[in-house]
Amino acid sequence: MPDSEQNIVADLRDANKRELAFHVLVKTYQERLYWHIRKIVLNHDDADDVLQNTFLKAWRSIDKFREESSLFTWLYRIATNESITFLNSKKRKSMLPLGEDSEYLMDNLMSDPFFSGDEIQLKLQQAILRLPEKQRLVFNMKYFDEIKYDDMSKILDTSVGALKASYHHAAKKIEEYIKNTD
Amino acid sequence: MDELKNIAPELSKLKKEQPFDTPDNYFDDFSARLQMRIEAEKRVGDPKKISFIQILKPALGLAASFAIIFMLVYVPLKTFIPHQVAEATEVYEDPDARILNYIENIDESSFISLLNESENEETTFSDEELTLYVSANFSDYEIYENLENK
Repeated sequence: MPDSEQNIVADLRDANKRELAFHVLVKTYQERLYWHIRKIVLNHDDADDVLQNTFLKAWRSIDKFREESSLFTWLYRIATNESITFLNSKKRKSMLPLGEDSEYLMDNLMSDPFFSGDEIQLKLQQAILRLPEKQRLVFNMKYFDEIKYDDMSKILDTSVGALKASYHHAAKKIEEYIKNTD
Repeated sequence: MDELKNIAPELSKLKKEQPFDTPDNYFDDFSARLQMRIEAEKRVGDPKKISFIQILKPALGLAASFAIIFMLVYVPLKTFIPHQVAEATEVYEDPDARILNYIENIDESSFISLLNESENEETTFSDEELTLYVSANFSDYEIYENLENK
């Protein structure tokens, strides 16, 4: 764990410094976590809700944080779980089957006023949305965030081999989609 | 990157750009908004605890009442009444049961010797004792009549 993270964790465990340390934690990780969440839920308002839920959960359970993993890995894991839980609850409310989320996410993407990508980026997002949930997560984390497989393994609780295979399949499917659609 | 070029050459040519935007000053305000939500949660958290206790209070009161009733009624009944019943039955059963038990436990020779002892005791009354017994239980007329009849 880097020194800066160790300092934050130590301050978070100190009741007198906790609030200030949490403020530092939010400022340090809010952007990275936001973009991770945004790529999963796509819509800004949803991403904002999930980001708040992520930090609230971290605030409530900071005592449970074990220093075996890095603080960022721990937060990333919470953010991923919160995003998936959020999507599942949205799908339940929309009466959609749990596996069928590409259509819902596409609507989410198209209705988002803060999507600023061009045609090819829209096409890439459409290709990503057609992937199964796990492959979509792995592809986003590897392709956009360039997270190492070892860290990803801790965040997603999946072996490095399985992650590499997921990324390989995802990239192949996206390549095909880009080639075969106008 | 080389790996991606081999698997997906078209994809590897694309420029990696974030296709999403955020509202202006979103990240500047986020921390303050989050803090407000944490504060609101803290405020809501305390009354929740009180209301939870308030909800539990009648149930706890009821449970305590049942416990007291149990202690005052059931426990004494269970502990004392069976003994009293047993004692009462012992009192009624005692004469027959004791005599029978006593006789069963005595062998024949002891029983006969006991009878003889009691007979011997009868013959050892003194004259004075007999005079007192007669004067206490019979009138002068009855004594006179008995003596005349002899």
